[in-house]
Amino acid sequence: MELHRREFLKIIGATTVGTTLPGCGIKQPKSLIPYVIPEENITPGKSVWYASVCQECPAGCGISARVRDGRAVKVEGNALHPINDGALCARGHASLHGLYNPDRIQQPMRKKPDGSWEVLSWDQAQTYFAEEIQKIQKRGRGGDVVFMTQHLSGALDELVDQWLGSIGSKRRYRYEPFAHESIKKANLLTFATEQVPSYNFAEAETIISFGADFLETWLSPVAFTKGFTAHRGFKNGKRGSMFFVGPRLSMTATNADEWLAVSPGTEGIFALGLVKVILDNNASKGLGVVDATRISEIVKSYSLSAVEKATGVSSEAMKKAALAFAKAKSSLAVAGGTTIEGDAGAAITAAVNLLNYICGNIGKTVRFNHPGISNLNTYLDVAKLVDLMNGEKISAFIFADVNPLFSTPSGLDFDKAMMKVPFRVSMSSFMTETSAPANLILPTHTPLESWGDVEVESGIYGLMQPAMQPVFKTKMLGDILLETRKKLKSSAASSPATMYDYVRDRWRLLQKRIGDTSDFENFWIDSLARGGNWESPKSKVQEVRLSPGFNGSFFSNMKNIENEPGKNFSLLLYPSLNHYDGRGANRPWMQELPDPMTMNVWDTWIEIHPQDAAVAGIKTGDAVQVSSPYARFDLPAHVSTTVKPGVVAIPIGQGHTSFGRYADNVGKNPIDLLDPKPSEKTGGLEWVGITVEILKKSERLALVSVSGSDVQHDRAIVQTIPLSELVKPHATMPTEEHKEEAISMYADHEHPNHRWGMAIDVDKCTGCSACVTACYAENNIPVVGKEEVNSGREMAWIRIERYFDEKSPTPRADFAPMLCQQCDNAPCETVCPVYAAYHTEEGLNGQVYNRCIGTRYCANNCPYKVRRFNWFETKWIEPLNWQLNPDVTVRSKGVMEKCTFCVQRINDGKNTARNENRAVRDGEIIPACAQTCPAEAITFGDLKDPNSRVSKLIVEEDKRDYRVLEDLNTRPAVTYLKAIDLRERK
Amino acid sequence: MTEDYNLNYTDTDIDLTQSLKAPGRGYWLLLTFLFLLICAGGYAWGVQIANGIGESGKNNPVGWAMYITTFVFWVGIAHSGTLISAILFLFRVKWRAAVYRSAEAVTVFGLATAGLFPFIHLGRVWVAHWILPIPNFGGLWPNFRSPLAWDVLAITTYLTASSLFFILGMMPDIAIVRDKARGWRKKVYGLLSMGWQGSDNQWRHYTAAYVFLAALSTPLVISVHSIVSWDFAMSVIPGWHSTIFAPYFVAGAIHSGLGMVVLLLIPMRKAFKIEQYITLHHLESLAKLIIFTALVVGFAYSIELFIAWYSHNPYEQAIFLYRMTGDYAWAFWLLITTNVFVPMLLWSKKIRTSIPWLVGICVSVEIGMWLERFVIIVTSLAHDYLPYAWGLYKPTLIDSLIVIGSFAWFFFLFMVFSKTLPVVSMWEVKEQIEPPMKSSH
Repeated sequence: MELHRREFLKIIGATTVGTTLPGCGIKQPKSLIPYVIPEENITPGKSVWYASVCQECPAGCGISARVRDGRAVKVEGNALHPINDGALCARGHASLHGLYNPDRIQQPMRKKPDGSWEVLSWDQAQTYFAEEIQKIQKRGRGGDVVFMTQHLSGALDELVDQWLGSIGSKRRYRYEPFAHESIKKANLLTFATEQVPSYNFAEAETIISFGADFLETWLSPVAFTKGFTAHRGFKNGKRGSMFFVGPRLSMTATNADEWLAVSPGTEGIFALGLVKVILDNNASKGLGVVDATRISEIVKSYSLSAVEKATGVSSEAMKKAALAFAKAKSSLAVAGGTTIEGDAGAAITAAVNLLNYICGNIGKTVRFNHPGISNLNTYLDVAKLVDLMNGEKISAFIFADVNPLFSTPSGLDFDKAMMKVPFRVSMSSFMTETSAPANLILPTHTPLESWGDVEVESGIYGLMQPAMQPVFKTKMLGDILLETRKKLKSSAASSPATMYDYVRDRWRLLQKRIGDTSDFENFWIDSLARGGNWESPKSKVQEVRLSPGFNGSFFSNMKNIENEPGKNFSLLLYPSLNHYDGRGANRPWMQELPDPMTMNVWDTWIEIHPQDAAVAGIKTGDAVQVSSPYARFDLPAHVSTTVKPGVVAIPIGQGHTSFGRYADNVGKNPIDLLDPKPSEKTGGLEWVGITVEILKKSERLALVSVSGSDVQHDRAIVQTIPLSELVKPHATMPTEEHKEEAISMYADHEHPNHRWGMAIDVDKCTGCSACVTACYAENNIPVVGKEEVNSGREMAWIRIERYFDEKSPTPRADFAPMLCQQCDNAPCETVCPVYAAYHTEEGLNGQVYNRCIGTRYCANNCPYKVRRFNWFETKWIEPLNWQLNPDVTVRSKGVMEKCTFCVQRINDGKNTARNENRAVRDGEIIPACAQTCPAEAITFGDLKDPNSRVSKLIVEEDKRDYRVLEDLNTRPAVTYLKAIDLRERK
Repeated sequence: MTEDYNLNYTDTDIDLTQSLKAPGRGYWLLLTFLFLLICAGGYAWGVQIANGIGESGKNNPVGWAMYITTFVFWVGIAHSGTLISAILFLFRVKWRAAVYRSAEAVTVFGLATAGLFPFIHLGRVWVAHWILPIPNFGGLWPNFRSPLAWDVLAITTYLTASSLFFILGMMPDIAIVRDKARGWRKKVYGLLSMGWQGSDNQWRHYTAAYVFLAALSTPLVISVHSIVSWDFAMSVIPGWHSTIFAPYFVAGAIHSGLGMVVLLLIPMRKAFKIEQYITLHHLESLAKLIIFTALVVGFAYSIELFIAWYSHNPYEQAIFLYRMTGDYAWAFWLLITTNVFVPMLLWSKKIRTSIPWLVGICVSVEIGMWLERFVIIVTSLAHDYLPYAWGLYKPTLIDSLIVIGSFAWFFFLFMVFSKTLPVVSMWEVKEQIEPPMKSSH
């Protein structure tokens, strides 16, 4: 084909407009209200923040999306939101990778008879959808239409119900793989209320967690981490203590002061043992005589020795935990997570309820005030739905962003049942395992493109607004429902036409309900700017008493999940910190984020205790065949003390077959190993309870870990101090030990204005790795993939170093965030032959990417090994590259890169201060890692300012402060604070 | 030594220029083979430039590996030339006359090979000139605190000095070739001989200049490899940061350089039939030197280990333990064996006067010296301060091809040299032969 110059120019012109238009943000002025600037005022190069609500898990944290030139480039916790108080977890950050995922469904599609997809326009697709629904209604099967969503609350939840009601159906499913059936069941039995309570970790002096990984995945990890930080904060010589009861050393467990490694299934026995100890020692609180006698009767057979025999935990440890729990001013015991969700789950939780009950925690740290999560359908409901589908009782299966095909055991045969439904409609953003067999796909916006509201807890209303124009030709789920409702010509003709109006209508009602009499527009704009409204009165905390019918027979099914040593193992599946139930697996950041306990990436593995591994001759990385009666597959072994002997653990979340390029064929889906039959006792899926056989195979699998060593070889990288030593007064005056002058040919650096520095409290760091993903997002750090990580080329500027404590009697790991220490006497700077590495006047170890010639000498000479080299040119996949932060250079191949305490944020803060003719305020500049840290472990500020928080912290914590590899005279700007060890060591 | 040679001036001229005759088929075959290897290496480098340095097996934490290993290896090889030609000259060691030309060629070509690696290992080779102190508009200078900047200066100085020494030492010999050559060759050699006539005046100036140059080059033998060693010693990495590095590296450099000279002399004297000029006595003298350098190197190894133990520095101790027992322990034990123990065989006169034994032992030394640098560089980086950041290096096809290509490049240059320039110094050999006037009587 000949192409003339003019035609060429025309084509170029057209394609340029075509590709730039969606990105440059032609905004509807009425709809997008920036957080800081009250009026619509988009200036190129200036960021605006839009408050919204995170939808990556049911916790409902408030977020602020930073938008630059019409594109969302960063998500941070909304500092005004009462749930997460500015913090955000790694998965929350990765919501951007949902928004910009290249594997999103980009337009409506209908399946042709030959199985291929036919692209439709929205009008065609919605008309087709409405016609099909009408046909179903005409056949009188309108009531058999199923609508399945994930956990929703607020406007969308209501709208789905309304829509379904308008076609005469009540078959609404709120499906979450982790539906807390045991908790609800136990609360029904013990307290006659079938709900998930809210927990207050902050007020508890002593915490005992029975399997609940509340710092990682359970219920509301960011809020709980905040609470945990408050609980644990070292003040006035005291610090809260925590015990973790369960067979696996999860990240949450290793944050406990003691890990009580009970045999799987015996958590409840242990809890009842604690109850007995407390009652026997008359240490209960606010317990009536009647209740006391009743409970004593229930627990009378749970003597110390009996419990020790059943659980494998020594009676001294048990007694210690019991008394610490009872004698604390306030305490909290929580049970939850997959490790207790077996057949005995409800009994275990009920036992923990008793523990809370006798210590007067119910109504204080455990409150029944109707959090939204309680209305989830149980697994039993899903199993029944499968039966209905198999019986061809379902006329249409409509689902939005749920993936039961992945998250139910394959033995349930959800896929086969689903194919018996004639009309299967996916209103989802991704071509998941469940979307693939649909015959119509109406692709939806991701939460960052959507309007909505979320009622997280009673009285806390989060408001969702789109942070940017849609990336693809998708629609809001709410809009699809409203538009199709109109097409269905149902009665609700007066209803609002768009989701935006629908949400606004609801907020008009809310305004009335909370008695706000101001102009609605003001109320609306204010709520949008703040990300919601939390002033409305909270529903009263329901007072509960021990149910009269409750008795000891309920605990009869609590027993050790027996395994035959050396033959089979009890299987523990746990939700992965990175992927939760699997919904995060297509986010490249989440794939490359090391799992905090194993430090593995891009995979599924099976954790096996070194003792068991030695017997079977298994080494880390060996292929082992895992077989249960329901499935069998090979996994790489990860030999680790994170599990008890006799137990194997596998993370949930990987093993997708249809979820996009980053998730497909990565790892295995362990859910398939489970018994598909719902528990008769709880109605839930039995996440624990089965045993699996392990067979070592001859081949090796590429299990990729980023950790070079599991232990720190006495190198004092993570330092701990016993509490007893910490509270002792100084034996001698603080000496001048650090003042030893090193002889140097060169003058010291002068820092005339600022010397930026950081304090990292190792005692607070939980290892959650939110900082790592926040850094990836802020600093345009590339994801390199499994093979490159295997070659040692991951690019993280901040990492969480996990070291197991070699000297600890029980397994325990500590975490140290490691990032550039911004040394005053930096080994990297002197060796760079071209001054690409240089010292800024504010004490940063700057790196001029343009000047770097790539000798890599700086990285070799860095004792902290925090410099990262661009081994290849990064391929930024469209549209993931839309996320790139325009304030940070995208590095090319052959240059070294590194952390600079987010120098772009420092400069931004200084510019703001200069424009306002004032000095920089302490706390005004915060690097991305410190900003997001849910544990508040990172404090950043100016070391030259004696009144800055960081300077004061270092002075106050003079017994805990240390610098890593201080002997090298690098004079780092990062000060670490020692972890506090409550255990008395010999 | 004069008595070793039973020769006269004319025979010398004839014997020592017949190496310049048209080469045979074997020569061309070998040259083609080497050329193909160079092409493979060049292709690999091209791939690496196009895709990024990740094509080599390096990573975090091992930022330097085979390239720097091979760089240090070739710089080391380059040391024997100046040692033999300058230092032995100043000490008036007579046997050097027969071998120094080849030794100098080894120096120049060793440097020409080593000099490639700083470029090859750069992440962005297209801006390599930024490391040079070139006055520029932006006023940006190299960082003279960086040992890499010292490296550039040291290597270029050494290359200049050794090239001058090489060319200057050849002038009288090239004049002989010029006198025998015809056609365009006469013009080329004429140019290279720079108008040498062999007049008394010229000889007087020439010998004076030669002594001066020899005296000037001598400190370079010490300084260059000292500076190369400071690339490591000036860092903070355990296993690198050590005061013994400069003498230790110089000794190692000479060790490998001597081995390489022997390895090149043996086939050359056979191929060019100049066994009368490069006699067993010469090879034996070199072998004795190798015993000495092997002992020095062995001493350095033991001192390193002793200091690591004696220092009580846990990082230092850990790295040496790692070298002996860790992932690269095979390389460590192999290098100790090949560098120190194998050369001890040369104490036996039988062995050091046996050509096959000499070849075997010198090959062993070369392998050992390459591995020594590899172990120093890779193990130290692989296991430094933070255990979490430990990692391993694995070679790839690309970096292996480049390293192999560099060896081919060196031998290619040497082969071209052997056919274009006189490989044995005729004028210095003649100094050790009875002048023709006397024998005619």
